[in-house]
Amino acid sequence: MTGPTRELLPVASGRDAVRRSWSLLRSHVGWLAVTVVAFLVAGIAGLVPVLMIGRVVDAAASGGDRSDVVTAVVGIVVAGLVAAVATGLSTASLARAVAPALASLREAVLERALHLPTARVEAAGVGDVVSRVGDDVRQVTESLDEAVPATVSSAVTLVFTVGGLFTLDWRLGLAGLLAAPSYLLAVRWYVPRSAPLYRDERQAQGERADALVTGVQGASTVRAFGREDDAVGRIEQTSAAALAVTLRVFTLFTRFGFRMNMSELVGMAAVLIAGFWTVRSGAGTVGEATAAALFFHRLFNPIGALLFLFDTVQAAGAATARLVGVADLPAPRTDRIDPGTAPDLTLTGVRHAYEAGREVLAPLDLTVPAGQVVAVVGATGAGKTTLGSIAAAALRPSGGVVRLGGHDLHAIDEAEARRHVALVSQEVHVFAGTVRDNLLLADAEATDDDLRAALTTVLATAWVDALPSGLDTVVGDHGHPLTSPQAQQMALARVVLADPRVVVLDEATAEAGSSGARDLERAALRALAGRSAVVIAHRLTQARDADVVVVLHDGVVVETGRHDDLVAREGRYAALWRAWSAEGGRA
Amino acid sequence: MAPWWSGVLAMSDAPTLTPAALLRRSLRRHRRSLAIGYPLIVTWQLCETLVPVVIGFVVDHSIRTGRVSDLLEALPALVLLFLVLAFAYRFGSRFVERSTETEAHRLRLEIAGHVLHPRGARADLLPGEIQSLATSDADLVPTVFRQLGYTIASLTAIVVVAAYLLAVDVVIGLLVLLGVPAVLALIQVVSPLVARRTAAQQERTASATGLAADLVQGLRPLKGIGGEDVALRRYRAASRTASDATIGLARSWGYLGGLTAALSTALLAAVTLVAGTAAVEGRITLGELVAIVGLTQFLAEPIGALGDLSAQFAGSRAAAGRIAAFLATPRLVADGDDVPATGTSTLALADVVVGPVRGLSLTTRDGELLAVVVDDPAVGDTLLSVLAGERVVESGVAVLGGADLSRLDLAARRATLTVAPHHTTISEGTLRSVVDPDGSLSEGALAAVLRASAAQDVVDLHRDGLERRVRAEGTSLSGGQRQRLALARALAVDAPVLVLHDPTSAVDAVTEQVVADGVAGLRRRAGRTTVVLTSSPALLQAADRVVVVRDGRAAAEGRHADLLADAAYREAVLR
Repeated sequence: MTGPTRELLPVASGRDAVRRSWSLLRSHVGWLAVTVVAFLVAGIAGLVPVLMIGRVVDAAASGGDRSDVVTAVVGIVVAGLVAAVATGLSTASLARAVAPALASLREAVLERALHLPTARVEAAGVGDVVSRVGDDVRQVTESLDEAVPATVSSAVTLVFTVGGLFTLDWRLGLAGLLAAPSYLLAVRWYVPRSAPLYRDERQAQGERADALVTGVQGASTVRAFGREDDAVGRIEQTSAAALAVTLRVFTLFTRFGFRMNMSELVGMAAVLIAGFWTVRSGAGTVGEATAAALFFHRLFNPIGALLFLFDTVQAAGAATARLVGVADLPAPRTDRIDPGTAPDLTLTGVRHAYEAGREVLAPLDLTVPAGQVVAVVGATGAGKTTLGSIAAAALRPSGGVVRLGGHDLHAIDEAEARRHVALVSQEVHVFAGTVRDNLLLADAEATDDDLRAALTTVLATAWVDALPSGLDTVVGDHGHPLTSPQAQQMALARVVLADPRVVVLDEATAEAGSSGARDLERAALRALAGRSAVVIAHRLTQARDADVVVVLHDGVVVETGRHDDLVAREGRYAALWRAWSAEGGRA
Repeated sequence: MAPWWSGVLAMSDAPTLTPAALLRRSLRRHRRSLAIGYPLIVTWQLCETLVPVVIGFVVDHSIRTGRVSDLLEALPALVLLFLVLAFAYRFGSRFVERSTETEAHRLRLEIAGHVLHPRGARADLLPGEIQSLATSDADLVPTVFRQLGYTIASLTAIVVVAAYLLAVDVVIGLLVLLGVPAVLALIQVVSPLVARRTAAQQERTASATGLAADLVQGLRPLKGIGGEDVALRRYRAASRTASDATIGLARSWGYLGGLTAALSTALLAAVTLVAGTAAVEGRITLGELVAIVGLTQFLAEPIGALGDLSAQFAGSRAAAGRIAAFLATPRLVADGDDVPATGTSTLALADVVVGPVRGLSLTTRDGELLAVVVDDPAVGDTLLSVLAGERVVESGVAVLGGADLSRLDLAARRATLTVAPHHTTISEGTLRSVVDPDGSLSEGALAAVLRASAAQDVVDLHRDGLERRVRAEGTSLSGGQRQRLALARALAVDAPVLVLHDPTSAVDAVTEQVVADGVAGLRRRAGRTTVVLTSSPALLQAADRVVVVRDGRAAAEGRHADLLADAAYREAVLR
């Protein structure tokens, strides 16, 4: 189906998932304590009415009077009020403990995902990340909302009710316990069968998320080529697969439920028979026997809830493991470097192969002196993008070193390297939000004056001012559509705001299309002023203006020099230049 | 300023459904399966209700008498009750669950089908938001099946309990019959708060998810400037807002839960008082007392369920509203049943005015390669969307084979005209499936297409050749490789009229020349018309005719070599 090219992000082991969940919950231990206490109080208060009813039954059986009934009713009312307050408090305080913990977890997932090498995330698919911070968090939230209250209150009810049964008569208590083996068998039957299904379900939902995201993103291409059936077909297929697993899970679950009902029958019959014998033998009263049966009846729900907990724990566990799997990836290093004000960028013996034995970049040495622009040109597929990515520390080379002012760029965190060496690629993306939101990504502290200055540098002031609300105009998919050159001007403005020493422009003007490319090139030149740059471009006007031109061919540097010298040399560059500057047909 | 889509007629296939209508439609679609499931669920609930009655029966008829024969008579009733109960739930819940999950699946496909409709959807949603619509909202809507099933079951249980109690004692029966509605009415005081907070929580959670999706999609540009930390801060703020909304929602559930618990206990207290008094005064038997208080205690459950119900229903209804609104968003491409005159595929614009296009006229000649040079990228984008039928002209005429572009029959449009988007999304598969997804091209035709788009190099680069795996979005390929594959994809369609937008912007000059000659040769040999929006000299030179668009209208026309005499043209196209 889809699998072979996708390498999903890791999933944590059960042990790691538990450890991480606990460490997150621990920071909200106060609320957790309030929750548990509130549930305890609610559980205990919930037992009082049953005891009081038992007293009423006894009063009726043994000729009590109305005052006995009134006393019991007062008990019920008081306990009811206490239970009500405790119930409300427990629900609210549980969310106070859990919601922030889950929020931290999903934030950690996104943090790790953003810090992973781009290629790793792309190999996993956008849907993989999105389904984790979306679907999986939702799954855990729902499960915890059900499971924690059910567990605590059920455990309390169970303990006190069984205790109550024994207090009434140890024989009645033992009779109730007769149901236990039957319950345990049900659980032993269910858990090993359902665990793998839950994992399958989470995975199937991840596949579905990926089909949805890619389908929706590619809608215009799908429409242009009439491939709706393929795209919808893939969504249908993955959604149907997820549906099939979900239904299998539920069928299994109802069979589990059936076994639980049968366990209830065993217990109830045992208690009634025991009650019968205790009353008959004179060891107990009818009121006690009645209370015991009602006690046991009251246990149906708590026991059910506790056993369904296995179900919930598995569903939530599978989702948590997917969250923790990403959150537990190594944290980005936080070491900072200071490359100085005018550092040279040097590549020494850099080579690269994406797969063993197929070198796309032969060992090469390249220096970008401070303040200079080096253009990298060559036919498509020559290895230019690979070189650019390595120079910007976005790709770890198979061999060789990249240094900025003497610091090894691949030895520090990618984000830190990127503070000094920015990379603008041809992927155009307008982030959801306003123009300001888009720009502040580069420098959250920038003032409006900074933003305007950056826009002026990249020659974008005119169109930004013409937008309905200027900087506050919502742009992108959601709002005002921008042309490709406008989107790239924003990317360049972000470079100006980030203010790195070195910039790698990888075909940054390509997506602009021909009519916008020249304006964009001017904008790029202005954005590069005072910085060193590696400019990868097939638009050779950019090479002409560069300090040095490097010509790559099949991963090998074949020519290096200034534009004029290379043109005069009549080599590969000269041929490219002729093709480029031809007016068409006169080449 | 008028929105950019002004001038587009609002058009949608489906009439706008109200949230309630959408929910009703969902129910209708599963009425058969629910018609089996609901009676079983009601049966199950009734059996659960009868458990205390049977306990009371056993107490009265065997424990009090102490006769073993009585016990042996009473116990089979208990066994029978449990068997019916267990089977009814096992199968009833399966029917309801199957309907619920199947409906979620259907809604998901409707949402996907809407956004991926051949005529598109004009929905201002981020992919992440559509995702959340198609998952959490699609899941929420059919939970009404469960809600409705348990409502019917709970109400039936309450009625049966009340009927039993009326038979035993009129006062107690009336107490329950009036008390339960009163309790439910009081609970409704809190319900709207829960509903409001549910909507807020859903909305904030969806927007946090949407933000995450957007950031991951823009990962390359984001990481390019080291914007991860700022982006994370932004996500963290959204995530915290969502978390606060979740806490707010839980607090309102807390009020609801507390109120429900208090009121059900109050009802139990009242019933215990009346029934207990009746029992000590000997007006009812001990067994009846047990059954009455047991039943009232049991009532807490359906009351609680009914109390939560309106809040849950509000959640489903809000989701239904969002889905209905999305499904009602107008189509991007206008619909009609005009077809081009037989055998003609001439594309003609006359005095077209729309957005930045200010009176553009141009007509293709069959079989030619027509190049269009624009001075403003926005004019190019607008022109393409008019040709794709996604924008309707404000004035003037835009026709294909004599038929208005905004009233074209979809099949006829597709049979005649392909407007290849500049950014072509490459889907996961192999190089072969990217270029020829149906596998319908002959080896010869495929080779010709690959040659014309200079994509043969891409194929030769890898030992798997055409079977090389490609990731979604072609992220494992370079920009130039992606662009050539996209071009090959467009050429593979072999449309009578093909519109291309800057097909060589990401390739080097030598490759550009190969592409220009290849495209012109392939299309001309096939006698097909090609319109290419470009300022590439190689493509312009290869074109039969060049139309220069300035300030939104055609300013000059001719062959590239002749137009070069014009200084303004030279300035526009030369580098």
